[in-house]
Amino acid sequence: MFKDLSIKSKITLALAAIAALFLLLLVAAYNNFAKLSEANGWDRHTLEVLLETDKITTAVLQVQTATRGFMLTGNESLVEPVSKEEALARVHLDKVRVLTADNSGQQERVRRLEPLLNDWINKVIDPLIAKRRELNKTVGVTQQTASAADVLNGARTVADIRALIDDMAGEESRLLARRSDESAKLQQSMFLLLTGGGALCLLLAGVIGYLLVQALLTPLNRLTDAVGRIAAGEQSARADVLANDELGKVAIEFNRMAQAIQDSQVKELETTNLLRAKVDALLDVVSKAASGDLTGQVTVEGTDAIGRMGHGLKRMFDNLRVLLNNVQKAGIQVTTSATEIAASAKQQEATGIEQAQTSVEILSTTKEISANTTQLLRTMEEATAVADFTTNATAEAQTNLRRMDLTMQHMVAATDSINAKLAALSEKASNINGVLITITKVADQTNILSLNAAIEAEKAGDAGRGFSVVATEIRRLADQTSVSTWDIDQMLKEMQSAVSASVMGMDKFSEEIRRSVGEVRHVTEQLSSVMDQVQKLAPQFDLVLQGMQSQAVGASQISDTMLQLNDATQQTVESLKATSEAVHQLQYAAGDLQSSVATFSVNS
Amino acid sequence: MKVLVFAIGSDRYGLPLRAVARVLPVVALKQIPLAPAFVAGLMDLHGVPVPVLDLSRLAGLAAEQLWLDSRIVLVDYRLDDGALRPLGLLLEHVTGIETIAEHTLADPGIEGAPFLGEVSAQLQLVEVNDLLAPDVRALLFARDGAAREGERA
Repeated sequence: MFKDLSIKSKITLALAAIAALFLLLLVAAYNNFAKLSEANGWDRHTLEVLLETDKITTAVLQVQTATRGFMLTGNESLVEPVSKEEALARVHLDKVRVLTADNSGQQERVRRLEPLLNDWINKVIDPLIAKRRELNKTVGVTQQTASAADVLNGARTVADIRALIDDMAGEESRLLARRSDESAKLQQSMFLLLTGGGALCLLLAGVIGYLLVQALLTPLNRLTDAVGRIAAGEQSARADVLANDELGKVAIEFNRMAQAIQDSQVKELETTNLLRAKVDALLDVVSKAASGDLTGQVTVEGTDAIGRMGHGLKRMFDNLRVLLNNVQKAGIQVTTSATEIAASAKQQEATGIEQAQTSVEILSTTKEISANTTQLLRTMEEATAVADFTTNATAEAQTNLRRMDLTMQHMVAATDSINAKLAALSEKASNINGVLITITKVADQTNILSLNAAIEAEKAGDAGRGFSVVATEIRRLADQTSVSTWDIDQMLKEMQSAVSASVMGMDKFSEEIRRSVGEVRHVTEQLSSVMDQVQKLAPQFDLVLQGMQSQAVGASQISDTMLQLNDATQQTVESLKATSEAVHQLQYAAGDLQSSVATFSVNS
Repeated sequence: MKVLVFAIGSDRYGLPLRAVARVLPVVALKQIPLAPAFVAGLMDLHGVPVPVLDLSRLAGLAAEQLWLDSRIVLVDYRLDDGALRPLGLLLEHVTGIETIAEHTLADPGIEGAPFLGEVSAQLQLVEVNDLLAPDVRALLFARDGAAREGERA
């Protein structure tokens, strides 16, 4: 039954159930609260009664104390509150009566209390006060005039009043205690109710909520699952219809939609396959044609786009076949005629090139001649300049050489004189040498003499001692002399060697000078001959120059003629080249055509 | 004692002055063929022929070297029979006369040439009488001795 309810009903129901539960709980709680407050009210009532009774007691006490005070002092001011308190006590008693209207026991007590109070006030207090007042009138008496009997009476009455009031209080207290017990019990039950009921409510609410969620979410999850499966590709996935509510309806509709999609997809697939088959057939034919084989047949027909395309392709292929046949035939023709033209054109070109080459050679040669001539001219001019320069230089050189010759002769003369002087020096040195030899001999002899003297002195013994000293001195002198002569000898030797070296040097020098003089003379002669020759050159140069100039003119004439010839030949060659080029292109075109056509095959 | 200092090679030698008669300059000597190499020749001393020995050659050193201070020293050679004959010694580098304290002389202890004597302060004495071997002596002085004897006789 629940299944068929709508979502709204389900939710409403669930929420209502939860609300009801909580309402029940609230009612129970409220009940308890009411009881508790009633009990509370009764407690207050009891307390009020107690208060009133206490107030009565207080009033009585006040009266007592006031009366006693008055009794003692007779002061009027002390007796004023008595009547007020009396009135108050009555008032409070009335209040008590009103408050305890429901309690018969208490009413009874009140009824007993009232006359007691009245009696006490009227019979005890008032007479006492009157007495005292009378006494006051008699001045000076401050004695207590109350008798023991009055006091006792009063005290007994007050005690009764008090006992009664105590009873009332006690009753009220008992009632209070009882009510407290009751209210405690009530509180406890309240607590239990709240906790237990609350828990139970929560539990039930939870259960209801869970059921609700299940009822709502399960169909949703199933639906989500089915959607997911369809999205993933499983065409036949369907959602479960669990209930007859909105979600169920959604599931039903979803299933229908999925079914419809599936059907339409199947149909589309069929159409696509058909189309593809047709396209494949066409593609087959076209690819064969692309690779050159035009023998394929188009079998696709129909009034749709593919069919029309098939028709078109068929017509196109037929046309192509015819065209290619024609092209092939034409190509062959063109190639043959082009080859013939090319051959003749080449021959002509070759001849033309030869001519051009020859004329170019001649031209270059004449150019060279021209260049050479110009260069020769320049060289000749330079040579002339050089010849002049040489002549001048040679004349200068001759003059210099003559001067040099003179100088050398001077030098020779000087050398001779030096030589003579050196010879004189040498002679003198040898003279000195002779003298030295003599001195050396003398010294030597002196040495020997000294030795002999020493020997004789030795032989003479003591007598010869003086003499041996003399001998020693002589020997020393001789030695000194020897040393000096040896030094002089060394010096002389050095001097002599230096002199002889100088003499040799001078000889060599003069010899060289003589040689140089001879060479200079020789050079001078040669230079003069060179000058003569150079001078002879100049007129010859002129002749050469003239000849070369005429040659240059002739060469330039030839050059011009050759240029003209060259131009003409060039033109011929170019025109031939152009023809040849055109023929080549024709051949290429024919060749291209043939090659491109060759890739096709038209006859199967 | 006084010695005449001379050189053999590069060493100094001393000839006792008491053995020396005279010092003469180096003169030309007449050669004696087939004489020992150390016989330098024959000297004419105032008509008396005196044989001259080259002491350096006798000591075994190089040939006759004539320095400026080479001298021919005349000594009296004692023959076997006690006669004195003049003998010339060609000495190199005769530098002079030196006095040697006799207590400084010592025996060299090494045997060499027969004429070598004691040593003192880098100077070796030469014993004149040991200069000639008997055969040489005979060679040089035999005829002389005979001649003298003949003269005496």
